[in-house]
Amino acid sequence: MALLEVKDLDVRFAVRGGDLKALRGISFSLDRGERLGLVGESGAGKSVAAFSILNLIARPGYIAGGEILLEGKNLAAMSERELRKIRGNRIAMIFQDPMMTLNPVLSIGTQMVEALKAHRRISTRAAREIALTKLRKVQLPSPEKRLDQYPHELSGGMRQRVIIAIALLLEPEIIIADEPTTALDVTIQAEIMALLLELCEQDNVALMLISHDLGVVSQVTQRMLVMYSGRIIEQGPTREIINDAQHPYTQGLIKALPQMGEPGARLFQIPGSMPSLNNVPSGCPFHPRCEFATDQCRQAMPGYVRSGNVDVACYEVSNLIEQERLIRIQEQDS
Amino acid sequence: MTTATLSRWNRFRDSFLWYSFKRDKVAIASFMVLLAMVLAAVFAPWLAPTDPYDLATISIMDSELPPVWITGADPAFPLGTDAQGRDMLSTILYGTRVSLLIGFGAVILQAALGILFGLMAGYMGGRVDAILMRIADVQLSFSTLMVAIIVGAVFKASFGNLMYGEIAVYMLIFIIGVAEWPQIARTVRASVLAEKKKEYVDAAKVMGFGTRRIMFRHILPNTLSPIFVIATVQIANAIISEAALSFLGLGMPETQPSLGSLIKSGFDYIQSGSWWITLVPGLVLVVLVLVINLLGDWLRDVMNPRLYKG
Repeated sequence: MALLEVKDLDVRFAVRGGDLKALRGISFSLDRGERLGLVGESGAGKSVAAFSILNLIARPGYIAGGEILLEGKNLAAMSERELRKIRGNRIAMIFQDPMMTLNPVLSIGTQMVEALKAHRRISTRAAREIALTKLRKVQLPSPEKRLDQYPHELSGGMRQRVIIAIALLLEPEIIIADEPTTALDVTIQAEIMALLLELCEQDNVALMLISHDLGVVSQVTQRMLVMYSGRIIEQGPTREIINDAQHPYTQGLIKALPQMGEPGARLFQIPGSMPSLNNVPSGCPFHPRCEFATDQCRQAMPGYVRSGNVDVACYEVSNLIEQERLIRIQEQDS
Repeated sequence: MTTATLSRWNRFRDSFLWYSFKRDKVAIASFMVLLAMVLAAVFAPWLAPTDPYDLATISIMDSELPPVWITGADPAFPLGTDAQGRDMLSTILYGTRVSLLIGFGAVILQAALGILFGLMAGYMGGRVDAILMRIADVQLSFSTLMVAIIVGAVFKASFGNLMYGEIAVYMLIFIIGVAEWPQIARTVRASVLAEKKKEYVDAAKVMGFGTRRIMFRHILPNTLSPIFVIATVQIANAIISEAALSFLGLGMPETQPSLGSLIKSGFDYIQSGSWWITLVPGLVLVVLVLVINLLGDWLRDVMNPRLYKG
């Protein structure tokens, strides 16, 4: 059984004039120690997906359907008290901006001790001891001194190390990292990413990496999901998707990478922009931007088809597969 | 422990608060005057030449003696005496003590109520917010004095004068504290609304912290500077409210006078020439309230996040 299994998750935002469907039928699973990438444009629902896994969608958002199973137990149906035992303890989360995620008026040590005390009966002295070992683990220079320092006394990279240390504090089984390096200097980005990867491998922690940086995702993760307008449109082994993307949107994303273009040439871009949630097009949400769009795409949402090890939701792909199958049958017949 | 306090002291010495305090002459002067008055009030039993609460030491023969710089004064009473022959200096020292006690006590009560309700209203929002803030609106639409007059009159009638004298301090703290909590609650609520949108609150939720823990341990420390500023001003307000009530005869009884009841007790004798019984405690009250307000102004400037990002 997978460690985390999300089945047909629907998340909606209740606003005036009806519900906005932020997530539509999201399904995926995460095994112990696996590294999963979640890719998509801003507004595709990546962060909503991350928060809903912890059942922490703020009003007016709510989980309208589906299950989030952590070792078979449904988080979507749990009481707040039970959920609190899981948050931070079994599933931890790392946010984008290390400047904002630490409480500015509490010292690093206080914040770490707080986190430990919220989940365990532990003395302050013992909690500080654990905090110190974690700070050492994330290779923060002179960790003893840092315990009594405040967030504004640390640099961005150091703060993100502290945040990773806090995420690791309770030895979680899953870490959800929501664009953990976006707010950092390019030189620090690689360092922090490598550290996160190393720590996850060491403790066999599953990592769910949310990013719009395909480069990072392709290097770090084993499997990936591509999201568009609240749906997963393609999911499978990262290498397969990067080398041979099936969905026209994923193909566009990969083509838009600077390293894919000719030197000096204009970068490729997917025409148009993602539809807003209150104006989702009929059928496949990508069809207004898709060069292969047909009437079929405009009318109904495509289901998933399997191509190799990749699940993809696109009529173009399913039709191609169908054609290939027919050709094969004809060849066999003749 | 000693290293911790030492580093805290160093941190304070490096802080913007200390830096701007050192450069602001008005703040330093106000602080000095306030400190002197608070110390004098706290140590009144040791500083005062006589005990104004001890009727045995008072002689009616000494009544209405003028301060020393006027002819006819008795050097034993540097600020003169009141109509009952009590030494004015001692009475003022004890009176300041009572006024300060009520001022601080009332603000502590206000802050306790205001922080609790302000945090709940701001953080929980929705119905809790609507109900608490409507209660605050209703509370604010009554003037403090009106509520105090009604409650004070009821207390006085039901407990009798002797008993009333014993509970008057607590009653005043209670009335002024309860009447003014919405001021602090609104301030707290406003800053909580701004704080709760910040990412560290999300991070705290993700860590599985409970609502109470997030409210008191994570958001409250971030809203302390506006609370601090308004509390300072509220101390001055509470002292004035108390003085006004005492002046109206609904505050401290004359056997344990506060500054307000001293002013009142001298008021009847102004026409007969004994102006010092009203004027001297009046001046003390003005100076006390003025320095607190000046310090409050300074704090507001220093802690204004638009001027300084901490």
